[in-house]
Amino acid sequence: MVTSTCKGSFLVCAILVLDLVLKVSGNAEGDALNALKSNLQDPNNVLQSWDATLVNPCTWFHVTCNSDNSVTRLDLGNADLSGTLVPNLGNLPNLQYLELFNNNISGKIPDELGNLKNLVSLDLYLNVLTGPIPATLGKLSYLRVLRLNNNALSGGIPMSLTGINSLQVLDLSNNQLKGTVPVNGSFSMFTPISFQNNPGLIQPKM
Amino acid sequence: MVLSIVFGFLVLISSFGTAYGTDTDIFCLKSIKGSLEDPYNYLQSWTFNDKTEGFICKFIGVECWHPDENRVLNLNLSNMGLKGQFPRAIRNCSSLTGLDLSINKLSGTIPADISSLLTYVVTLDLSSNEFSGTIPKSLANCTYLNILKLDSNRLTGQIPGQFASLGRLKTFNVTNNLLSGRVPNFNYTKVRASYGNNRGLCGGPNLRPCQAQPSKSNTAVIAGAAG
Repeated sequence: MVTSTCKGSFLVCAILVLDLVLKVSGNAEGDALNALKSNLQDPNNVLQSWDATLVNPCTWFHVTCNSDNSVTRLDLGNADLSGTLVPNLGNLPNLQYLELFNNNISGKIPDELGNLKNLVSLDLYLNVLTGPIPATLGKLSYLRVLRLNNNALSGGIPMSLTGINSLQVLDLSNNQLKGTVPVNGSFSMFTPISFQNNPGLIQPKM
Repeated sequence: MVLSIVFGFLVLISSFGTAYGTDTDIFCLKSIKGSLEDPYNYLQSWTFNDKTEGFICKFIGVECWHPDENRVLNLNLSNMGLKGQFPRAIRNCSSLTGLDLSINKLSGTIPADISSLLTYVVTLDLSSNEFSGTIPKSLANCTYLNILKLDSNRLTGQIPGQFASLGRLKTFNVTNNLLSGRVPNFNYTKVRASYGNNRGLCGGPNLRPCQAQPSKSNTAVIAGAAG
């Protein structure tokens, strides 16, 4: 069809070729999510609708997009997923809600999550994540909810988090965090409840 | 053989969910509802028949720590026409950090042991009610308080000086009460304090200086000078 049209009109030919190229070159956000899918074990087939051949991921279940077909929500809580997160998750510039709570996800929290500049809610609680809380999360200047509780996170609480002025709900409890709990900046609003059951963590006196 | 089956069953049960709601938060809300008069039926959605995990999180005015765990983070019952005394049952919401009871018709005193009812409170708004009596010293033990609003009530007496030790306090509002006496020695570069429209507050920004107290020795000197 392309070749016969190309014999006729150059303009129409060019449009058809461009259309094909765009379809084949893929969608960066869909690629990011597909990388996540490749790293997860999914016994309940919650990711079955995730078809990488589609032009964008906006019709995939558990994915929500805005009117520009850019991903704003990823809702995969309570999904029996295991495996690890991927740095590619940082390639979702309009993501506002990253909901991966109550799964069996292991490995580290990627530093690249700090690139999700529009993130409002980060819920990784009730998993088996290890390693530190990335200091890059301090770049999330619109973050309202940060719940990393009930994992096996280690290291200290990054000071950079105290600079997130929009933070309203913080739960880092039930981990293996160490060091002192910051009390400055936005952390003046958080009580020992947010930090409980971290045996190596030193609560402030006031 | 039977033992191993029983053991396996027990292991299976114990592995169900690592999250836990607390029955005390359910008791907290049920008791609060029971202790208050709710003439406009705002608390209609507060029903306690369904006991699924996180059911209280869907109640009007309730914000939970996690959506499917019965643990209250903030309670906002502002402007609901509620009547009655300060709901002491709030002590059972042991993870509560925010309480807003503003713009209601609550009366009686603010409990003298309020810091044991609200250990972790960060924001406390009791403004625009009909609370009377004094401001309890106990609030000075609520070390995590950032915002304390007691404005537009009928509170009398002196503001406890110990409030100056509240290291995280940012906003303190007691306007429109019947308070008198010296105000706490706050660091006013950190604390935004509002004292207007009271009976006789003194010693703070935009307030008259407190008068020196007359003492026995002073009167003797004056008498000596006059004689």
